[in-house]
Amino acid sequence: MLQEGGFPPDLTVTEATKMWAGTLTSPRPFDEALSLVDLTHRASVRVKQLSGGERRRLDLALALLGRPEVLFLDEPTTGLDPESRRNTWELIRSLLREGVTVLLTTHYLEEAQALADRLAIMHRGRIVVQGTVSEVVDAYPSRISFVPPLGVSLPFVADPDGGRVTVRTNNLQETLHELLAWAHVNSVELSGLDARSASLEEAFLAIAEEAA
Amino acid sequence: MRAVAVGQAELRLFWRNRMALFNSLVMPLLIAPALMAADADGVPLVIGLVGFVLLMAVYYNLVTTFVARREELVLKRLRVGELTDPEILLGASLPSVVVALGQMALFAMIVGVLTGISLPSQPWFLVLGVVGGVCVFVLLAAASSAFTRTVEMAQITSLPVLVACLLGSGLFFPLSVLPSGVASVVRLLPLTPVLDLLRAGWNGGAVVQPMIVLAVWIGLGIYAVRRWFRWDPRR
Repeated sequence: MLQEGGFPPDLTVTEATKMWAGTLTSPRPFDEALSLVDLTHRASVRVKQLSGGERRRLDLALALLGRPEVLFLDEPTTGLDPESRRNTWELIRSLLREGVTVLLTTHYLEEAQALADRLAIMHRGRIVVQGTVSEVVDAYPSRISFVPPLGVSLPFVADPDGGRVTVRTNNLQETLHELLAWAHVNSVELSGLDARSASLEEAFLAIAEEAA
Repeated sequence: MRAVAVGQAELRLFWRNRMALFNSLVMPLLIAPALMAADADGVPLVIGLVGFVLLMAVYYNLVTTFVARREELVLKRLRVGELTDPEILLGASLPSVVVALGQMALFAMIVGVLTGISLPSQPWFLVLGVVGGVCVFVLLAAASSAFTRTVEMAQITSLPVLVACLLGSGLFFPLSVLPSGVASVVRLLPLTPVLDLLRAGWNGGAVVQPMIVLAVWIGLGIYAVRRWFRWDPRR
């Protein structure tokens, strides 16, 4: 799958798919490939009239035509609407279940988090971290944030950011428990309370910051 | 033949491309009166039309085709597939070549019927000339496309080959009117040996020198394509 283009604009979706199928040793039926990416209803439309997202899906259909064992997907969901993106994720998951090895590049961290068995983060052309999602993410602390009432002194170190306070911790459950117990005992209201495990996005931003 | 899949798609694109249709199908008809003014006999007219079809339907058309497919990233995509490089080029050339061969046959029949020319005495030289000519101009088109950034630029980058071949191959005036030094140089142009072979097919004549010149051009063409042909756009 290329990052963009590669279809003659004056061919229809069916013609472009059939052409590609004709160059392959044992292709899937072209209509099966089109239905895998939900393009059947656009089969007789010229490629130049497709939207950007539809072109991405046609691209994916061609990549699937040859029943590959290894699939390279270069930003397969860029330009897709949220529904098509979910569908593409579902398709990639089903390919994974069938035993296809997928190498996928993406700018969407949630995509990597949702799909990847192993991932690597590149920064300025170098791989700065790699591993499973949890290996990468576990290296970064979880976060709890809230807005305390004015004039309350907190029982622990925290970075204030405007009125909001952020606590970083490597043991989310324990720290959250302590915080809630303290708030309960002192009758402090923690408004906008938000507790989350480190996500790939945080890991990524931290890496970019360290490297900058 | 996996290249045929590409050829079929190209043929569709050819029918959908008015510019290519005009250059291939109409231009030779427009040029026929000029060729007849140069020499009203049937055989030179057929030979002239064959030469013109090689230049417009094969050479010029394929320069624009190769450039268009390169800029659309179609060549890049095909290259990551299963086809070999020669198969891709062959596939992309197929429709132009088939249309050109059809035109040649059609023109020869029409002119033959209208003027009652005799059948060629040495048809093999005719076949050799046509096949060799197609090979040379497919290769030259691929080579020229390397020096052509956009489809529009093909009008300019194809001029050297077009002008040299039109003037230097005896299409519009016999080479014997040229000074002998100039005449022997223009005999080395790519279209000249093709037309010499066609003439030899009908009337007899020297064939060894044209065959050598043609073989050298094919060799040069293959070298140029391997050396310079671009599969993706310059960015």
